[in-house]
Amino acid sequence: MTPPLLELRRLTKSFGGARALRGVDFDLKAGEVHALLGENGAGKSTLIKIVTGAHQPDGGTIMVGGELAEDLTPAAAQALGIACVYQQPALFPDLSVAENIALRLERGGVLRTVGWRARHGCARDLLQRIGAEIDPATEVRSLSMPEQQLVEIACALGSGARIVIMDEPTASLTHKEQHLLFTVVRELRKSGVGVIYISHRLEEIFALADRVTVLRDGESVGTHPVSSMNEAGLIRMMVGREVAQIYPPSESAPGEVVLALRDVGCAASGVRGVTLDVRAGEVVGLAGLVGAGRTELARVLFGLTPADSGEISLNGQRVTLRSPGEAVAQGIAYVPEDRRRHGVVLEMPIAHNMTMAVHGQLFRGAWLRFGAERSLTLDYIRDLAVKCSGPFAPGGSLSGGNQQKVSLARWLATKPKVLILDEPTQGVDVGAKSEIHKIVRRLAKEGLAVLLISSDLPEVIGMSDRIGVMRGGALTAVLPGGADAHAVMAAALGTTERGAA
Amino acid sequence: MSRYFRELSVVGALAVALIAMAVFAPAFFQPQPLLSLATREAPTLVVACGMALVIICRQIDISVGSMFSVVSVCTGILAARGWPLLLVLPIAAGLGAALGALNGALVAGLRLPSIVVTLATMVALRQGLNLVRQGEFVNMPDTVQWFGLPQATGQWVLVICALALLAALGLGLRHLAAGRFVYAVGTDAEAARLAGIRPQLVTFGVFVFIGALTGLAAMMNIVQSPQVQPLSGMGLELKVIAAVVVGGVAISGGRGNLWGAFAGLLLLACVAPALTHLRIEAYWEKAIQGAIILLAVVADGLRERRQA
Amino acid sequence: MLLLYVLIAEWLFFYFAGTTVNRRGVTVGFGTLDRQFDILRHSCEIGLLALALTPVIITAGIDLSVGSLLGLCAILFGKFWHDGGLPIPIAATLALGCGALGGALNAALITALRLPPLIVTLGTYSLFRGLAEAITRGSVTYTNFPEGFLFIGQERWLGLPAQAWLFFAVAIGVWVLVHRMTFGRSFRAIGFSPEGARYAGLPVDRHIALAYILAGLIAALAAIIYTARLGQAKADAGTGYELFAITAVVLGGTSIFGGRGSVTGTLLGVAAIAVLKSGLASLPVVMRMNAAEEMSGVLTGALLLLALTAGVLPRLWSQRRARHAAVPKTLPTS
Repeated sequence: MTPPLLELRRLTKSFGGARALRGVDFDLKAGEVHALLGENGAGKSTLIKIVTGAHQPDGGTIMVGGELAEDLTPAAAQALGIACVYQQPALFPDLSVAENIALRLERGGVLRTVGWRARHGCARDLLQRIGAEIDPATEVRSLSMPEQQLVEIACALGSGARIVIMDEPTASLTHKEQHLLFTVVRELRKSGVGVIYISHRLEEIFALADRVTVLRDGESVGTHPVSSMNEAGLIRMMVGREVAQIYPPSESAPGEVVLALRDVGCAASGVRGVTLDVRAGEVVGLAGLVGAGRTELARVLFGLTPADSGEISLNGQRVTLRSPGEAVAQGIAYVPEDRRRHGVVLEMPIAHNMTMAVHGQLFRGAWLRFGAERSLTLDYIRDLAVKCSGPFAPGGSLSGGNQQKVSLARWLATKPKVLILDEPTQGVDVGAKSEIHKIVRRLAKEGLAVLLISSDLPEVIGMSDRIGVMRGGALTAVLPGGADAHAVMAAALGTTERGAA
Repeated sequence: MSRYFRELSVVGALAVALIAMAVFAPAFFQPQPLLSLATREAPTLVVACGMALVIICRQIDISVGSMFSVVSVCTGILAARGWPLLLVLPIAAGLGAALGALNGALVAGLRLPSIVVTLATMVALRQGLNLVRQGEFVNMPDTVQWFGLPQATGQWVLVICALALLAALGLGLRHLAAGRFVYAVGTDAEAARLAGIRPQLVTFGVFVFIGALTGLAAMMNIVQSPQVQPLSGMGLELKVIAAVVVGGVAISGGRGNLWGAFAGLLLLACVAPALTHLRIEAYWEKAIQGAIILLAVVADGLRERRQA
Repeated sequence: MLLLYVLIAEWLFFYFAGTTVNRRGVTVGFGTLDRQFDILRHSCEIGLLALALTPVIITAGIDLSVGSLLGLCAILFGKFWHDGGLPIPIAATLALGCGALGGALNAALITALRLPPLIVTLGTYSLFRGLAEAITRGSVTYTNFPEGFLFIGQERWLGLPAQAWLFFAVAIGVWVLVHRMTFGRSFRAIGFSPEGARYAGLPVDRHIALAYILAGLIAALAAIIYTARLGQAKADAGTGYELFAITAVVLGGTSIFGGRGSVTGTLLGVAAIAVLKSGLASLPVVMRMNAAEEMSGVLTGALLLLALTAGVLPRLWSQRRARHAAVPKTLPTS
């Protein structure tokens, strides 16, 4: 028997304190499409990054074609015939399509001449094989996202890869392009290539894949032939455990409507017709898959990408939010998802970070008042139990959870009416996570309207009074708090209730 | 066609300028002054080619003026001592390359910002030259001037050499793998690394290259006049950066080509003589050059905004 | 802090090596009080430009045009007074306004069009100097300023050169702005992470604009002091000053990548350069060669490169260590 193309045994990987993979087993045979399924944060992207050599595993073995692959680097992975088509293509925007393909495929000295005709010919061939109608001479920057993805696939095809990884390749494709892609994938399978196919669209997995492996919390829950599974079974495997963790109970009775959205949309960021009310003292969860438009909605509400249709009202008054400054002035606070880039300025002290959004109130006449700053900072450090060496420790010296608390403190200091939390517990260790949950509860009890964006299904179910589910930029369902995880997942995936039941 | 829109618009501006000159100051189009102008600008063209490379690679080198002066004086001394020009030529290129390698090592090796590094080497080299030479001119023997050829022939030789270099480099940038690597690194150094290119090495190479080209340009400079001035390279950096930027090479790297830079240089080079012929005082030259640079970057900025 | 010790050592070295007693028994050279005042007097203009650049560089920007703007403002000031017949105070106010306007041009191009500061200020560097040359037709210099005005640049007031008081006032002003007001916080946040500053609701564009406009204003003040010191306004005033100013700022520990930096550091950097220049001029060896200007130029350039290198080496080393630590030689099989 020939060995499998790719065999992963007990892979482990941690980032700081968070364990992304806790011993994953996976194998891929030649000529099969093997789907990889799991919730956001289940470890899929970490797994891919290890296979493509971008990350080094902490433990476990990788066998490619039956041979042990040690110290896998991007170049080594490429040489072994592993190619990956990313969701967000990593192409050179200023260069032409033909050149982008050529830079991946051509090898040789720096003084060799470049055959433009051959490059264009090769690019045209590859693009034709996947049925894409793209002129090889166009600059990549002028292509749409799906077109760029097709170029990525052409690159993978051209490199003669034996193992092709596709990370949500259809996320932004039109129906026609999707069909085309399926043909390409079947084509690849026929020629003996192994395809690892990652998608949230269950119908695609049923249409395309031979086997499916489900990841949950960094572990593989099981590998099954697709023919033996149905949608409900897959969802059950993904969600798995019941909401086992203890979430603090909701103690507040929702009051007046604070934030009211009527048909809010933003063409630039793909948010479409969102209608939603958030009451004082209420936690409204926003569930959905990555790219469903939840962060985009938050950015609209915070004035980063202003809305171009619909109405936003605060306490019954219609408001326009054209910049973060205006949003802050109206009493909206946004704790962003990417805290290292947006939430905390890592190089600056905790105190400076915490007071950054209240310069106007705390420092009258723009004069720094160190005493007031210090006492405010110490208050929040105590209040939120921030573990740090002092109020002037740089933000970068804190752990993820404590950085999150600093980011939260910055916004609490503005005394907001609406608090938007975007993935507040992502990459945060268990202890800090439950502390953050308690804080959110307390804030709601104090009368804050909270919008909680989270990809952690138990969290969003356990913490929310109501759960909005987004899909493709629109709010598709609003479920009561404590709703069934399967129902939320089914709504996020867009399958019918019947299929999920 | 849209791919070369930026270059074509510069050529268009140049054409408009020339037509305006033909109408208002036909005296501009006399062969002898034009040849002199071309000869004077030949070294600038060679340096501009190097600068285009550096800027495409998303770096900048403002020390070229000082390098130009240093190499001019050094090779001038050698040539004045009777060294054969054929031997001085590689020395000029080599000296320039060595100076460029210093910049390259600091920028690529230590990842320092090129603007500050070359600012420092610019001053250090210029003042170093002044320190050693105290502003002294180098007198050149007649045998060196115009390579010992008649003046007109010598001028043609220089112009043709510069154009040949431009053609070779322009084609190389398009058709050699090394040229494409410069674009790749300038567009996205990280993506280039993932594609198996070594960005630091390419950056270093580009600085060595502009050094060598500046050396050659200095050589083209010393054969033009009976004396080599130690200040000959003053302000050269600004002139070539202006030409390159006006010619459509994006300061953010990865875009543009030498043909555009060439057109940009022609446009800027015409400013001074055009002013004379239009009876505008020559003192406006610098201001107009500055305005043209700003106009070019503003146009690029507006265009980028519309696309985004 | 290191820079302070370097400065003291430098000063002591020149004090002992550059001070001599001549045949008539009079002390001459570096150690005299006159010379010390001279250092102060000569470093005011570059010092002002360095102060102007400190906030700009803290926001991770750069302004190459300050030297040229100095020249342009000097010319405009002379023109307002001489050709316009305006009294000195009004001419000076107008010149300051023009400086702010020049800074506002940079600011507008940088914030509204999102153009890189480097290339914008390279363009205005050429434009401002060119305008100065065009206005004077390359030859006009304005002279014969009244005594009262020249006092600012040439006399002493309360024991110190008069312009030093202006310089100290601006230094205190910029220090307060950067270290005691919210603007400084904002500059740092923008320098470290412009996106992070935006997500904190800070008015990023307005504060960047403020830094450049302030730089223009201070450059204009430097122009007036320059004119008063030399008693003439000419188009090449301040040529190359931007380099010394940037060097002083970077020597003073302000990171060219933005975020980190202090006004006191900049002042030390200015002092280090000024003492070096003047000290070299008083060394007998250099005096015989008559090459103080050149030597200080070479040394300043070298110093800047050294300061930059010293700034990045720790980061490079830690990166290298991190890379080695991150890649285990063999995969542990468990």
